[in-house]
Amino acid sequence: MKRKNILLLILSTAILFAAPGCKKILEEQPRTSFAPTFFTTSDGIQGGIAGIYSSFRGQWATQIWTQLFNEGTDESLAAAVSDVDHWAKFNNPLIKGQNTDNYLGFWNTLFIDINTANGVLQYGAGADIPVATKTQLLAQAKFLRGFCYFYLVTTFGAVPLHTTFNTSASAADAPAPLADVYAQIIKDLTESANDLPPTPAAGMGKPATKSTALYLLAKTYLWRGWSSVAQSSDFTNAFTTAKGLIDNKATYNLDLLPYFPDVFREGQEYSKEVLMVIDHTKDLKFGQNSNVGAGAVNGQENKSNFFWRMNYPTVQANYPTLTGSNVCVRDVNNGRPFQRIRPNTRYIIDVAFANRANDSRYDGTFQTVWLSNSVVSSVKGSTGVTTPRGTLINGVDTAIWTADRLIPPAQRAAFKGIIFEPEHLPGATNPFTASYYPSVRKFDDSTRGDMNDYSDRPYILFRFADVYLIAAEAAFKGGGTMQQAADMINVLRTRAALKANQTPVQYAAAVAAQQITSAEVTLDFILEERSRELFAEDCRWWDLSRTHKLYDRVVQYNSQGGANMVTYGADKHFELRPIPQTQIDLVTEGPKFPQNPGY
Amino acid sequence: MLKRKFMKRLAAGIFSLFILFFALPVFGQNIHVKGHVTSDANQIVARPSVSIKGTATGVTGDDNGDFEINAPGNATLVISAVDFTTQEIRINNRTTINVTLASLNRSLGEVVVIGYGTVRKKDVTGSTVSVKGETLNEIKAPNIYNQLQGRAAGVDIVNNSTNIGTAGQIRIRGNRSITGNNDPLIVVDGMAYGGSVNDINPDDIATLDILKDASATAIYGSRGANGVIIITTRRGTSGKAVTSYNGYVGMVKAIDTYRLFNGTEYAQFKADAAVGNSLVANANSYALRPIEQTNLQQGVSTDWQNLLLTTGMRTSHDISVRGGNERTQFFFGLGYYRETGIIHDQTLDRYSFNVNIDHKVSERIKVGFTSFNTMLRSNRTGTNAYGTATRIGPLFKPYNDDGSINFQPAIQQGVDNTQINVLTSIGNNDLIKAFSRRYQFQHNIYGEVRILKDLKFRTTFGFGWSQTLNDNYTGPNTVFNTNATTANSSLSQQNAEGWQYTINNSFEYNRTFAARHKLQALVLQEIQKNHFQAQQFNGVGVPANFIQDYNWQLVSTTTPQGGNFNETGLIGYMARAIYSFDEKYLLTATVRTDGASVLAPGHQWTTYPAVSVGWNLDKEKFLQNIKFVSALKLRGGWGISSNSGVGAYSTLGSLGTGFYNFGQGTTVGVNFQNGYTINTSPNPELTWEKTKGLNIGVDFALFHNRVSGTIEYYNTKTSDILLQRNLPRSNGTNSILTNVGKTASNGMEFSLSSVNIKTKSGFTWRTDATAFFNREKIVALQLGLKQDIGNGWFVGQPITTIYDVKKLGIWQTSEAAEAAVYGVKPGDIKLEDIDKNKSIGAEDRQIIGNFQPDLVAGMTNHFEYKNFDLNVVMFGRFGQTVVVTYLSADGGGAGYPFFMNSRVNQLKVDYWTPTNPTNAFPQPDAGVDGQKYTSTLTYRDGSFIKIRSIDLGYNIPNNLIGKAKIQSLRVYVSAQNPFILWAPLVRDHLGIDPEGNGTGNSVGSTAGGTPVQGRAITVSMGVPPSRLFIAGINLKF
Repeated sequence: MKRKNILLLILSTAILFAAPGCKKILEEQPRTSFAPTFFTTSDGIQGGIAGIYSSFRGQWATQIWTQLFNEGTDESLAAAVSDVDHWAKFNNPLIKGQNTDNYLGFWNTLFIDINTANGVLQYGAGADIPVATKTQLLAQAKFLRGFCYFYLVTTFGAVPLHTTFNTSASAADAPAPLADVYAQIIKDLTESANDLPPTPAAGMGKPATKSTALYLLAKTYLWRGWSSVAQSSDFTNAFTTAKGLIDNKATYNLDLLPYFPDVFREGQEYSKEVLMVIDHTKDLKFGQNSNVGAGAVNGQENKSNFFWRMNYPTVQANYPTLTGSNVCVRDVNNGRPFQRIRPNTRYIIDVAFANRANDSRYDGTFQTVWLSNSVVSSVKGSTGVTTPRGTLINGVDTAIWTADRLIPPAQRAAFKGIIFEPEHLPGATNPFTASYYPSVRKFDDSTRGDMNDYSDRPYILFRFADVYLIAAEAAFKGGGTMQQAADMINVLRTRAALKANQTPVQYAAAVAAQQITSAEVTLDFILEERSRELFAEDCRWWDLSRTHKLYDRVVQYNSQGGANMVTYGADKHFELRPIPQTQIDLVTEGPKFPQNPGY
Repeated sequence: MLKRKFMKRLAAGIFSLFILFFALPVFGQNIHVKGHVTSDANQIVARPSVSIKGTATGVTGDDNGDFEINAPGNATLVISAVDFTTQEIRINNRTTINVTLASLNRSLGEVVVIGYGTVRKKDVTGSTVSVKGETLNEIKAPNIYNQLQGRAAGVDIVNNSTNIGTAGQIRIRGNRSITGNNDPLIVVDGMAYGGSVNDINPDDIATLDILKDASATAIYGSRGANGVIIITTRRGTSGKAVTSYNGYVGMVKAIDTYRLFNGTEYAQFKADAAVGNSLVANANSYALRPIEQTNLQQGVSTDWQNLLLTTGMRTSHDISVRGGNERTQFFFGLGYYRETGIIHDQTLDRYSFNVNIDHKVSERIKVGFTSFNTMLRSNRTGTNAYGTATRIGPLFKPYNDDGSINFQPAIQQGVDNTQINVLTSIGNNDLIKAFSRRYQFQHNIYGEVRILKDLKFRTTFGFGWSQTLNDNYTGPNTVFNTNATTANSSLSQQNAEGWQYTINNSFEYNRTFAARHKLQALVLQEIQKNHFQAQQFNGVGVPANFIQDYNWQLVSTTTPQGGNFNETGLIGYMARAIYSFDEKYLLTATVRTDGASVLAPGHQWTTYPAVSVGWNLDKEKFLQNIKFVSALKLRGGWGISSNSGVGAYSTLGSLGTGFYNFGQGTTVGVNFQNGYTINTSPNPELTWEKTKGLNIGVDFALFHNRVSGTIEYYNTKTSDILLQRNLPRSNGTNSILTNVGKTASNGMEFSLSSVNIKTKSGFTWRTDATAFFNREKIVALQLGLKQDIGNGWFVGQPITTIYDVKKLGIWQTSEAAEAAVYGVKPGDIKLEDIDKNKSIGAEDRQIIGNFQPDLVAGMTNHFEYKNFDLNVVMFGRFGQTVVVTYLSADGGGAGYPFFMNSRVNQLKVDYWTPTNPTNAFPQPDAGVDGQKYTSTLTYRDGSFIKIRSIDLGYNIPNNLIGKAKIQSLRVYVSAQNPFILWAPLVRDHLGIDPEGNGTGNSVGSTAGGTPVQGRAITVSMGVPPSRLFIAGINLKF
């Protein structure tokens, strides 16, 4: 071989095996995403807490979730466009298996939150951040873990219990004993109550504080007291904890607002009455909102103002004849008529809110009149649609009235708009329908950017009135005296006596009429008081399930679900929601994951 | 019957062939020989090179293929030309010699690209297919996927969109990976290609070679398992420069529209839906409005689909020059392609520029470079109002009486009253923009040093880069944006950049020992790095429509979107030896080892061995006497390769990101916080999926190559399959990527080319046919499971199955009592209750099908007569299921919101009413938005046979064009996609084209879960597929 050849060969071989920067080529660094090791940093811990709060936006005040936890009770019925009416009707053949996944999102979110909290607690303990900050963050993580388990155990019964960060690929899982789950919730809430501040930091809205932890602790005791793993001290603990909150309300900067309709007025979301919100804001990014006018397409938006709203823009001038122009049009003030769910007016009008004269809570809860508007945001005083009874004046005349009683013919003839009357009352001329009914006004938002847009109002999750109701229920169940139960309820009823434009005499009379005696305190009364106070606040199914009154009250009051409840629900299995089929399908190792009885 | 006919024609063909070949010889000496060279396709071979064997004497013929030479009468002439096999002919004292040269692709003597090099076809031992550029270009389409459909055995391509310029989905020998990538690796001029198939101008392609089996793809190691498509572009040649122009222009039409309810049928449909109302008896919230009643009486029945459709245009112009001398060869080509859609205002333009030069610096050193440059510009290609047009009621009028557009035709409708007329989607370029501009280049340079006579060192550096800009603007008052002012216009801008470099260094050793031992050896090192990044900004509100997305300072609200960043690196070492003995016995052995950045340290390196053998039986004595066998080869191979299914960063696990506000303050980090929740768990153990494949093949050529073909059988086993295992939701981490699965597939492929008829009068009929089937199945799942319902995986079943409840029919009136047991009523879908528990639920789901076609076949028939040629390309898929999404009411997913609800118009189906007791479709129900179990209506037979193209050409005779210095000129007319010959879906009026316009998940099932996880061929009610009529020319001068 010539020397030149050898040189060429050596040179080429050198190129072949030099492999410049080889090592570096095989290293990787993500730049747009995070790995779980991020929880070892202080930003990671804080982000874990924010991430869990953020995940709640995907549940409360969303479309399916709202229907799932409000339909199928004594309070409400599926409206014209219900998505999951098999639950409203307790149509067990349709529910079994296939529709159990309706609960998958809730189940899944809560367990991811629990694992995230576990990650924060596990990694965060060793993170290099100031102790005070760390204590606060870890207390938040414990509260949130307790919160998630509270909702899991009260919704599904015994569930798997995980308290360490899970990164394994195990396909096995099994429910833990109910008692263990309750014990863990009580431990987490007790510990977090010790460390959380009594009031939120200024300007931080209403995240969990010491009072929130105590509130949920009281409620957990109450739940366990009713459960199969009750401990004798549960109702006492529930009463004492709730009463402690009431006695120290100044410390926690909590109180009832004097006037019930103010509680849900726009802008009152962080008021003294509010214990915790799921926060929302107008900001598109941190509020996770879709663009204005895009029709509220994000899954994290507060859409609570849609679902209970009747189909006002389809009521025609000649109703019930389907001719003539619509007497109202859809706009921001009137809201988006989603007609997913509606009040069960037989129960609402005749039972829960029977005493509308002395109680501000019916008018504080329901919108029953719709003013005429013939175009979007009609000018007040402009000419509206003409009905057989006259021409409506926009913004002045009531175009639609969902009355709470039968209206005499003469009064009806003098009324230019259309009157709907409760469908359960014999002789109703235009009865309420699945599309036309009194709508809930608690979540109204007049500052939305577009008539189809989400609300930027923080969603009120827990409020102080419930503390009185918890105390009353605990006292009634032996945690206190019957008089204490009546006293707690009377605080709320006294507040409810205050109405707009009342004379002092009228107010005094109303207060007197609202008072109850200890003899009047029954479980049904407490449940009806909860309806009056908390209607549409996403707790009715849980209230009935906790007190084991779901069967009785659905059969008694709910025309949509009552018959099926008798046929399919006599074993009371509807007091637990089903384990989502996907969860069952995915447990492929070890024993099969059990479905709750009856499904 | 057919067979006998074929044999008869074959015999006739053989007979005429004999007459051609056994012309009478004449003797002489030192003579002047005149000759004419034509191709086997009866075309003139311009400027053939003619030399006397064993001497330096030679001439070049003229443009008409004529040559004259003085040579001894007993000498042998060597005749060669670019793109043809060289032929030697003894003069035998003849003074006139007419020569027919075989074009390269029709001969077994051709060279085949096998990756990092070439071999003679007779030395190939792996499974490969070669397609010539001309063959591809018989289909006038923007990219090779569209052209390859039905042309290569084992290569299955389905359309996934009817938008212009979309490529389709390609699978070579089916799927192996369950969750990973099943796309083949594309190599252009020896370098792994990072761009899109749309960046490659088909006119620049000289040949396309596909490596199919693992013994052939193992040289690509971790990237080879899905097959490799190797594109070789046209390069310069020595000789006088040749300029070619290829161009065509044509018009595009929708092949059909969807059969929807017309005005009267729609009115009846709404009435029937009221009868079927399960929530409020005999009511329909969507009953005809007064305006619809009036229009019904006036006989209005608007065909909204037709209003949207127009005639599109497709045109392509390519001009290239190639030439050079012994030392330097060059090629450059310019291309322009334009297509406009059958929807107004859709445009796609591609400009391409391709240049390459090869230069011999000295006897030892050779250098060269290649440069491809493409710019693609498109607007509104995916933008259409077809969805709205198929939903809006036919009883609304498109135009006002004064001829203006009826802006909100459904204004009185109550619901959907804000719907704006679909005609606003036409024109309005200020208001509607969906512009995309992509610039891409690939530059390769190489240097080659001949160190010894037989030893070559070669180094190649390739760098590719692409940049894509997407601009979108949707202004107010159009069907796409119902808002009234520009304050609610929406806009977005996306920028993406990708680059990739590859370095190859190799030694190649080529030597023939003792005449009969031939050895080709290669050692190679390869380094590759890929980078991709993208950013997107969305915005709402601009002061005026003409601002569009040009000035972000004027945008009221800007929302940055999640970024995209991806970097991967690969290092590989490969060695290969190809040995042949006496041209009879062949052996190829390779080994490659690859290291990859996407795997965790400690698990980064994998080795891929492969070996294959071949036996050219025709060289054996015992076959020499069997005259009808021209060539016969047996091949067998075994090898391992991987697919790069692990994405970057996937061993690390991931957190989901969200955002939150604490209070109404706006301080970032205090009030506004980023949030994280656990998403996937880390798994450092991940490794590549490995495919072991066995391939056996027979190549044959009979009757003097008049019939040739290949039959192959393969069997592959893929292990360590990456499964994104869904975990029990109670684990708090939804999934983890693991190497647990195993799949297996086997299949057969048949290719046959035959010259059926070749007459003296110049009539030729040739047929190229391919047929193949692939059977894939899951062999193992995690933990020895037989099924994993949550993920939709079942051992023994194909990778993508349908797991759903099974429709038996419709509950009939006589079955009311039984239906009630199931909580339903007559008119509802009747389902199979497998466990007989009188309730339909998750436990009644069963495997009811899959998406694997029984057989895929293609056939091309070529007819030639004198100067005419005719090509007919047919393509068929048999026994395949498609998901027809618009037959389901899954509003949340891929379905058709409000199907059978009567709120909107829909496909006209044979639905149940008390007086029409059909079992086809359920009773319409105005009470529910989403009727239950409609997913069971979507699974349909998607088999079809269609003509892909008919191409009729005429070669202008030389005496007409020779004076104009034109070598050849062909004019042609062509119909692309002219008709569907057979398709059950079309026959049953349930669709226009079963080929599908989407791939992905199907609709959700009421019975729980997603019935189809993974790839399904979906047919949705998008823009209809189109057919194309074209006229064009091919010119060489």
